[in-house]
Amino acid sequence: MSDEGLNINFEEEIDHFKPSLEVEEIGEAIVKSDLTDMSDIMMEILKRIKE
Amino acid sequence: MDQRNRIRLVSNSLYNAGLERAQRRDLTGAVQCLKKCLNLNKYHIDARNLLGLIYYEMGEVSEALVQWVISMNFQERDNRADYYLEQVQRKQDRLDQVSQNIKKYNQALFQAQNGSDDLAVLQLTRVVEANPRFVKAHLLLALLYISHEDYTKAGKSLYKVLKIDKNNPKASWYMSIVKTRTGKAEIERRKIKNAFSHRQMQDDDVIIPPSYKENTGWQSVLNIGAGLLLGAAVIFFLVMPASIKRLNNEHTQELLQYNEQINQKNEEIATLNDTIETYKSDTEEAEAQLDMLLNSNDSVLNQYAILVKMLQAYRSDNLTEAVSLYAGFDPSLFTDETVLSIANGIKQDIETNGYQTLEDLAYTMWSAGRMSEALNYYQTCLSIRPANPKVLFNMGMIYRSQGQTDQAIEMFTQIVTQYADSEQAEKAREQLAQLVPDNQQAAVPGQSILNQGQPAEEGQDSSAGTAETGAQTESEPAASAETESQPEEPESQPEEQETQE
Repeated sequence: MSDEGLNINFEEEIDHFKPSLEVEEIGEAIVKSDLTDMSDIMMEILKRIKE
Repeated sequence: MDQRNRIRLVSNSLYNAGLERAQRRDLTGAVQCLKKCLNLNKYHIDARNLLGLIYYEMGEVSEALVQWVISMNFQERDNRADYYLEQVQRKQDRLDQVSQNIKKYNQALFQAQNGSDDLAVLQLTRVVEANPRFVKAHLLLALLYISHEDYTKAGKSLYKVLKIDKNNPKASWYMSIVKTRTGKAEIERRKIKNAFSHRQMQDDDVIIPPSYKENTGWQSVLNIGAGLLLGAAVIFFLVMPASIKRLNNEHTQELLQYNEQINQKNEEIATLNDTIETYKSDTEEAEAQLDMLLNSNDSVLNQYAILVKMLQAYRSDNLTEAVSLYAGFDPSLFTDETVLSIANGIKQDIETNGYQTLEDLAYTMWSAGRMSEALNYYQTCLSIRPANPKVLFNMGMIYRSQGQTDQAIEMFTQIVTQYADSEQAEKAREQLAQLVPDNQQAAVPGQSILNQGQPAEEGQDSSAGTAETGAQTESEPAASAETESQPEEPESQPEEQETQE
């Protein structure tokens, strides 16, 4: 491991930490969750192609 | 339709990969696989439930609840997510506790991002105590410890994270930094190097322990010295006490034997000493007996000699010599009856016929100035005839002439008191008057002049001077005695004396 990898920029590193999802925000998170999967995308593509 | 099947196959494959990684506790990798799986097929219930379970394992309870709720929306029946929600969401106390813990973490993150590191550390410490599986809290706490250069505590937190999520990239990175700072990285590097540096051993190879070091010259000397010291210590502390104890026991036994022998010898010496004392006393007794037999007048041999001499004197009709021998004659010492009868016969004859001769002999001796012999003969006369004032008077006179005033006074007093009617009584009073001039009691019959007390002693002392004068003229006793009183001549007939008695 290089010396650069052994040093931590604390300010930068701590910015990478994100707040944890709180219990009160579960409902909103569920609503906002993107549940699109590959099948949905394919169906959308096929739909546009037909149009 | 073929495309859909292919998508399902791929999503299943990703689910399997995620499951496999989850089973190996590579939770981060499993999350990635499961997310890809769900991106391909959002209806993959198992993948979503597993993703929620992994979130829950990593302390992300809210994320887990999101996945389980969505899973339940897609499939309400026969869904494992229902059980998970039952365990977490529908128990209000537990959910409140989880909610509070997440809020504390967010608060600690806010404090850390705004420079309040110490408060953040305190808050995160409480968070991980309440939920030890909160990976994000552990990572943030480890980062704060590393920033404070407290690598030990950081390492502990990272160790817990890696136990939950083996390949957590952030934890691995932080751990490598901690190991580098604490020097453990170098140790692990050496171990790995040694592990991969092994080769197949040959027959000539010698296994040398890591602790083995080539000794230099002075090290050898030191080792030898240390060995000698160790050996000496072993001898001193282990061998010597046993030897000393053994020798002490032997010496004690020897001493006991010697003491016993000494005691026996002492007893023998004591016995021999007693025997010697006994022999000495026996010897002395025998010597005394022998001396008595040989030299004493009272000895039997002497008595035999006297008897023989007396018989010889009788044969030669020398009664005087026989009488002179009578003074030391004691027939009672003879044990032989024949000799005893002869001795008693001689004794009886002398007492009957030889008394006057004895008295004449005493007078002769007195006249010749041989006072002691005269006294001896007079004493013999008294033993034959005790009531004899004439003999007593003569003895008194002899005593007086010799200066033996006390004996003279005793003789005269005996005459005055016991034979007051005898013709020697008056003479005895005169003698007493001269010897004790101040004593008027001398004339009193029945009282001894010696019992008169101090005045008599003074008179006695005064007469002592006279006695001394007499003693000074002892060379001429007869003349001196005659100047004071003429000796009483013995009576020609002893029978008259007996009549007087």
